[in-house]
Amino acid sequence: MKTFIPGLSRRDLFTIGLVLLEVVIFSIISENFLNSSNLRSILRNATELSLVSIGMTIVILMGGIDISVGSALGVVAIIVGWLIQAEIHPLVIGLVAILVGTTIGFINGSLITFGRIPDIIATLGMSNILRAAVFGMLGGRWITGLPPVFSPLVQGQYFGIPASIIVIFIFYLVFWILLTFLPIGRHIYATGNNLEAAKLSGIDVRKTRIIGYMLLGSLVGFSSLLYVGRLGSVEITVGIDLPISAIAAVVIGGASVFGGRGSIIGTLAGVFFMAFMKNGLLLLGIPSLWERAVIGFLIIFSVGVDLLINKQQTISKYLRFKIRQPSIGEA
Amino acid sequence: MVERLLKQSFPALLSNRVYFLIVLLIIVLIILSLISPYFLNTRTILDILRMGTVLLLLSIGQTLVILAGGAGIDLSVGAMLSLSGVFLGVLSRSGVDIWIAALLTILFGGLLGSINGFTVAIWGLPPLIGTLGSMWAFGALALVITNGIPISNFPREFAFIGDGRILGIPTQILLVALPVFAIIYFFLNWTYFGRWVYLIGVNETAAKFSGIPVTRVRFSLYTLNGILAGIGAVVMASWLMAARPDVGSGMELQSITVTVLGGTNIFGGSGSLVGPLLAVLIVTLVASGLQLAGINAIWQLAVLGFILLGAVSINQLIFSVKAKQSGLSP
Repeated sequence: MKTFIPGLSRRDLFTIGLVLLEVVIFSIISENFLNSSNLRSILRNATELSLVSIGMTIVILMGGIDISVGSALGVVAIIVGWLIQAEIHPLVIGLVAILVGTTIGFINGSLITFGRIPDIIATLGMSNILRAAVFGMLGGRWITGLPPVFSPLVQGQYFGIPASIIVIFIFYLVFWILLTFLPIGRHIYATGNNLEAAKLSGIDVRKTRIIGYMLLGSLVGFSSLLYVGRLGSVEITVGIDLPISAIAAVVIGGASVFGGRGSIIGTLAGVFFMAFMKNGLLLLGIPSLWERAVIGFLIIFSVGVDLLINKQQTISKYLRFKIRQPSIGEA
Repeated sequence: MVERLLKQSFPALLSNRVYFLIVLLIIVLIILSLISPYFLNTRTILDILRMGTVLLLLSIGQTLVILAGGAGIDLSVGAMLSLSGVFLGVLSRSGVDIWIAALLTILFGGLLGSINGFTVAIWGLPPLIGTLGSMWAFGALALVITNGIPISNFPREFAFIGDGRILGIPTQILLVALPVFAIIYFFLNWTYFGRWVYLIGVNETAAKFSGIPVTRVRFSLYTLNGILAGIGAVVMASWLMAARPDVGSGMELQSITVTVLGGTNIFGGSGSLVGPLLAVLIVTLVASGLQLAGINAIWQLAVLGFILLGAVSINQLIFSVKAKQSGLSP
């Protein structure tokens, strides 16, 4: 039997082309863009975003969304900071971080599947609860001056290759295999593509959805190690731009916000697009406040263009989604 | 006898959101007056309710958008509030008469709302993506324009809206909150437009086939949301006598919480405006109660988050039970 292995789709190539175009433009405008130390710092700063975007891709593939990732990363990062200060073995800290992240993902997933709360509402609520927890746990002070226990994960260099590239490569390889070859990956695509069909083919849709959110949570947990390793401190605004940047990276990478369509390679290209853009704006001397506005426009624009291209297909699916909702008369 | 009454009335209490909210409101009032003996007098309560005016405006808009279904939601209300306020501040700084500036601000809010209306209703972006994007764009623009520094050079007479009193009642309640509520209540319950909003929320396809201009209705609701945010921005600026670029941050959470606590089905089609009105009172009183009890304002975020999650789960439970009873189980 022939196995279906998706290669690079046309949409992936389009995103990659977009990134190359961006690189060309920025390197013409600023001569500092294409030098190795700048590229290295771009990659270092984008490591967390690239890992969280993998999880965000999974969740968006299932037709969901998670805007609590930033606050979740904050909570885990603070716990990691405390454990480092208590001089616990790094391996244990790493396990705890992943465990706490996964638990947060599990809570999100359960609220969405068992509580039947729409993804956006559930994660909006969680995001605010966790943000309050960040404030409460920090108590108005930053955690600073942490020993560089996890710095080798982002700062170091192995065989002449920066550690951040190695981390990104390993994670994307693992999750590419997971999404492409393993049953859970197929289930994730099927759930997002056509919920009813997935149910009828015997896929446990609820379990799949919760696992998806747990995978995202575990990635957020691991990313908090990178955050602490990179900065050596935890500030009160930790991860505040993370959810929107991750969503932008995923939709620029071509994933459909209606679920079922998207690829991890496209997401990686989307992450690079975002990372280069942030750096490019900085080099051009544009105030960093503009960055958020640009990200906002980019999200609307890329989803909108995608919509125009796939209009027929998407709308018929959207209507199907609507009919599935319980609709009754007035209360 | 009592037991039977309780058994019968308890589900009724839960399913009739207005009764439920009134009971909740009374409980909140009792708890607050236990915390502080100075709490229960008309003046204090009116002062506290003043804080609810802007939230009420935004929640009315949010309720209408969610009512009209199609996964409708507007995450950008807070950002529209901030940006409209900054617009007012800039106009006033450049010497435009404050009342004309206020009018222009309301129109400007409508313009911002119509951008959402365009991306979501006409272009067809999922509402949460379209308004998430505009939330970031608008919020960032407010910060960029002001560099993060509040604009505060409003003429003295402008304070009348936010700080004045007529017959002892704060102006913003008497002249803004109540009239706006009354007008929109009338439109929602006694006009074709209002019926259309419900119908679209209940069944979009059926509404389309009965000739209801679905796209136009949704577009005007998002625009209305912007107009309400514009009015809110005028009230807020007059109250603070400053245009703060971050004044609306967190307002989207508050307005969505109020909307679902008020009994609006998050999938659209069912809900009323009285529920959100009571919910605004409760949320505002709880917020000031937390302040009275000396609890850090940060924890209000968490409390709101919990109320939101709790309210939606209860809603979902009630709607699914009702759907089963009426044979329309999903």
